[in-house]
Amino acid sequence: MSAIKDLIKEIDNLKPIPAVVNQIMDAVEDSKSSMTDIAEIILYDPVITANILKMCNSAYYALPRRVDSVHDAVTMMGLNQVVDMVLMKSGASNLIKGQEGYGLHEGELWKHAVSSALIARDLAEKKGSEHKQMIFTAALLKDIGKVILDRFVGDSFTKIDDLVKKKGFSFKEAEKKVIGIDHAELGGLVAEMWDFSPKMISMIKNHHLNDEAARDDLETQILYVADNVCMMMGIGGGADGLAYRFHRDVLKRLGISPLDLQEIIASFGSEMKRVEELLKVI
Amino acid sequence: MKTIVGVSDMKVSNNKDEVLITYSLGSCIGVVIYDSQVKVGGMLHYMLPESQIDKEKAEKNPYMFADTGIPSLFKSAYGLGALKSRMKVVVVGGAQILDQKGFFNIGKRNHMALRKLFFKNGVIIDHEDVGGNVNRTIRIEIGTGDIYMKTSGKVEEKL
Ligand SMILES: [Fe+2]
Repeated sequence: MSAIKDLIKEIDNLKPIPAVVNQIMDAVEDSKSSMTDIAEIILYDPVITANILKMCNSAYYALPRRVDSVHDAVTMMGLNQVVDMVLMKSGASNLIKGQEGYGLHEGELWKHAVSSALIARDLAEKKGSEHKQMIFTAALLKDIGKVILDRFVGDSFTKIDDLVKKKGFSFKEAEKKVIGIDHAELGGLVAEMWDFSPKMISMIKNHHLNDEAARDDLETQILYVADNVCMMMGIGGGADGLAYRFHRDVLKRLGISPLDLQEIIASFGSEMKRVEELLKVI
Repeated sequence: MKTIVGVSDMKVSNNKDEVLITYSLGSCIGVVIYDSQVKVGGMLHYMLPESQIDKEKAEKNPYMFADTGIPSLFKSAYGLGALKSRMKVVVVGGAQILDQKGFFNIGKRNHMALRKLFFKNGVIIDHEDVGGNVNRTIRIEIGTGDIYMKTSGKVEEKL
């Protein structure tokens, strides 16, 4: 389909993820690199350093004293949190704009991205995943495909919406049927072009569980649950709404009961006001 | 003047120039009440059905749950002179993800909790737009009591 070729060409219009982000992610995944190695990479980027300090000193973290160096930030908050900040900052440029096709105002897709990343990181902690940073990043960028697909969804919205409302399609299934590709699949292609690791590519591609096999992957399960929690809470909810499939078996495999699900919602719900503060400084 | 009712939040008002609005209800439920005689209105945006899952959070923020938030909403409106017998009651939200069944269906459980409470207390719902897979936004003009709902991707409608 030529439409898909056009779509793929548009990936080049996204703001590229800075090379430093890939370097940091590689270092985090590489067991041989130390905390100082990673702090060093950050240190050499003045823009990222400045942004980290701004975020550290925001009301979200409510630290007892001012942070004024990367070293300080790492000591006070831990390396993981600092890396999260780098990732958030680098994701913002592409995700902050409104996406009219999806009925999302400026900042809504971004709010969804950050919220699901925070929920996913929490869950990753609880479930003892080895890939916390990767989960955070994948959650943050999982809907990047929407940024490209937006115009196409807008153009064929009535067709897509009809399939969802009248034929029982999920929004993603309707995207695929009408446009030829869905936002998750397209996100996977973006991740590929950005040289992300195969695991990360798979997580983004499978955040709505496109491939049956991905349902066995712990990290993908966590990503999936975080996305569902955001949908239920209406965080950054657009015209696609909650029209995605709920796979109860995946929650079961992850060991999430209905009560656990409510608890996740309750605890993130109490964080919402703080998260708004964080969004102001990214 | 526009006042935003956040997630797990509640506001009542008798200020004729005030508009109460709550955005993007997914599985959460928005309850709007209005007594036209005294021009008192209120809005609640709760997330979960029962406070027993976390008593501590419920104490800190009763608006998070149906069983603590709804009584609180009504009591606050009574405090401004509203009466239950004159109250208009509108309920929206409680959406669900496709195939989200049984105990996992939080939108539905949110709705059931409300119905149970209303039934026990003889509260009649005047208008209800609940369920489905859509996000809803609702607002009320305190001066007129007019209530508007917007489903994302659609134009706003007056209820
Ligand atoms: Fe998605």
